[in-house]
Amino acid sequence: MRKTFIIARREYLERVRTKSFVVMTLLIPAFMFGITVLPTMMMTRGGGGAKHLVIVASEARTAELIRQQLNQLSQRQGNEPSTAPAMSDRNRPRIGVLTVDVDTNTSEAERAVLTEKVKLKQLDGVIFATQDALAAKKVSFITNDVSSVLTNSEFQRSLNEALHRDLLKSRGMSDQEIDKALEPVSLDPENPAGMGNPEALFFTVFSMVMILYITVLLYGVNVMRAILEEKTSRIMEVMLSTARASEMMAGKILGVAAVGLTQIAIWAAIVLLPSAGMAAGLGVVKGILSVKLLAYFMVFYLLGFALYSTLCAAVGAMVNSEQEAQQLQFVVMLPMIAAVMIMVGVINSPGSPMALWGSLFPLTAPLIMFLRVALQSPPPWQIVLSIALMLVSVYGLVWLCARIYRVGILMYGKKPTLPELMKWIRYA
Amino acid sequence: MYTIELEKVRKNYGEFVAVDDLSFRIAQGSVFGLLGPNGAGKTSTIRMMIGITAPDSGTIKVFGQPFDRKCLEKIGYLPEERGLYKKMKMLDQLIFLGELHGMAAADARQKASEWCQRLEISEKLLSKVEELSKGMQQKIQFIAALLHDPEFIIMDEPFAGLDPVNSDLLKNVLLEMKKKGKTILFSTHRMDQVEKLCDSICLINKGKPVLAGDLKEVKARYGKGNVQIGYDGDGTFLEHNTLVRSFNDYGNYVEVRLAPGADPQQLLRMVAERSRVSRFELMEPSLEEIFIEVVGKTDA
Repeated sequence: MRKTFIIARREYLERVRTKSFVVMTLLIPAFMFGITVLPTMMMTRGGGGAKHLVIVASEARTAELIRQQLNQLSQRQGNEPSTAPAMSDRNRPRIGVLTVDVDTNTSEAERAVLTEKVKLKQLDGVIFATQDALAAKKVSFITNDVSSVLTNSEFQRSLNEALHRDLLKSRGMSDQEIDKALEPVSLDPENPAGMGNPEALFFTVFSMVMILYITVLLYGVNVMRAILEEKTSRIMEVMLSTARASEMMAGKILGVAAVGLTQIAIWAAIVLLPSAGMAAGLGVVKGILSVKLLAYFMVFYLLGFALYSTLCAAVGAMVNSEQEAQQLQFVVMLPMIAAVMIMVGVINSPGSPMALWGSLFPLTAPLIMFLRVALQSPPPWQIVLSIALMLVSVYGLVWLCARIYRVGILMYGKKPTLPELMKWIRYA
Repeated sequence: MYTIELEKVRKNYGEFVAVDDLSFRIAQGSVFGLLGPNGAGKTSTIRMMIGITAPDSGTIKVFGQPFDRKCLEKIGYLPEERGLYKKMKMLDQLIFLGELHGMAAADARQKASEWCQRLEISEKLLSKVEELSKGMQQKIQFIAALLHDPEFIIMDEPFAGLDPVNSDLLKNVLLEMKKKGKTILFSTHRMDQVEKLCDSICLINKGKPVLAGDLKEVKARYGKGNVQIGYDGDGTFLEHNTLVRSFNDYGNYVEVRLAPGADPQQLLRMVAERSRVSRFELMEPSLEEIFIEVVGKTDA
């Protein structure tokens, strides 16, 4: 135990002190921020400037209603923070101050003049809600910002609402009645265990998948390299004259894994905490991310990480160069890809045999069992069995690696064949 | 009291027999030479002594007890395959290896700087290993093997790649260790080194012992049947001569092994007749010659 600790500590300290660790730790969040937050910000803020629109309609009443709805759009953002918006509102773009004029001249000549004005950028857009267009359910919108998809869909929404109101009003309904009739109703699916909204659950599980996948991809290579390092630097003979191969293996895996976890913890602190705080402030996360689920997340994540790291270590023990290791890394990732593929099936029917076996098979268990825990309440014995199987696999793999490693080391230079590998495992 | 005892030790790698019924003992406080050509099984033998591999049959006793991992703390090993963590600072590396040998970190730090002073590399204590020359890296490995003050020191080709000054430095350290009563095992095919340092030897070839015992006694067994001759002129007549059993041209001089019962005086007269003799010396055969002879014989 002491030797394992000494080896793990060396591995950890040597890695954390490198420049590449510091750079990666700071750069990745910056990069993630760059690719996720900035484009969204640009998309939602893009149409933020003041706009001058003209509505062409045969009837002034219709045009006026559309104008009212459009004006509401630009007023919406003023009072937004005070009322918690529905989740679907979060992605709606900000619309700047709109100046909306009404024009009841529906002649072709007027149409040409207005179109020319848009072309010359004297106007930002013209909506032709003429009688014919409304009858055909196809209103043309002349604008230079054809690609402002989000903003334009807001305009479409306003137009529709205005037309609905127009219709209802013509049937003699009062404004209050219309408001009531048009108020949207949300459908909230909930599972019997009361674990809340599947959209958010899916999001949680999916982030687990992504985090596990990315970290194994990032750090699995490191584990392989660490094991390979012993071979290429030829230090293992000194090491083996003081420590057992299994102590060394365990130490190396623990050390490198700890580096990975440190980095992830730092990233989580940088990226997740502020956004989680924001989400919690908006009341979105409440009731979805229970403490229990978070605990399961940690358990299954750590087990999955340990298991895949050990698997990578085994690859490192078998090969003699990084090129070979990289080829084999793909093989290590296969079970995880398989797990992602059966995930969809498991989400649809968490009680299926595939879900059961997927959640017990150690290499897919971290993802599938977590998914099941999140979606339904599997019997406790299954959870315990799944965790136990993963632990046994980690232990067994370390033992196996140590054997392959020790014999592999002593005969480096030669690529092992499968029968040779079996022989190595049996060696005393 | 023996530091290590091998009794009919055998090791196979698949079909290949690396070590075949090898037995020897090393007395405490002595310097022992494990000799043999490349691939003779020297490293395989050492690996079994320190538990990297286990023998297929036979027994190994270390410090009078069957092998136990605990005794690794009293063994210092310099492997032939030199290797250190390249990115690590020298001092950290020594402390790390010291700790693995059961030392406390502070103690290891203290000893490491003492040793570096002794071996004249103190100024490099904080350099990374990859910044050091090969010779310096070798010194660090040497220190790593001795840092925890082991009772039994195993050196696999310790002087390979070192210049004469540094070889001498390490040799003196080892002689000092011997005076302190440590047991030293040399594994090498450099016979001149062994001749200077060892008390007893075991020469192995293809995993089998072919010559073993006290160094003086081994050499005496081969008698004073060697002559070194320095001369000017054509010496080819020596090659095919009834007085000469074997002939070895070293360039500046030749060394011949006399045929059994041959009279060295007769040879001297013969050489003097045909060339100008600058040197004619009767001596024991060198270990190298014995080595070549014995190994050549077993190969034939």
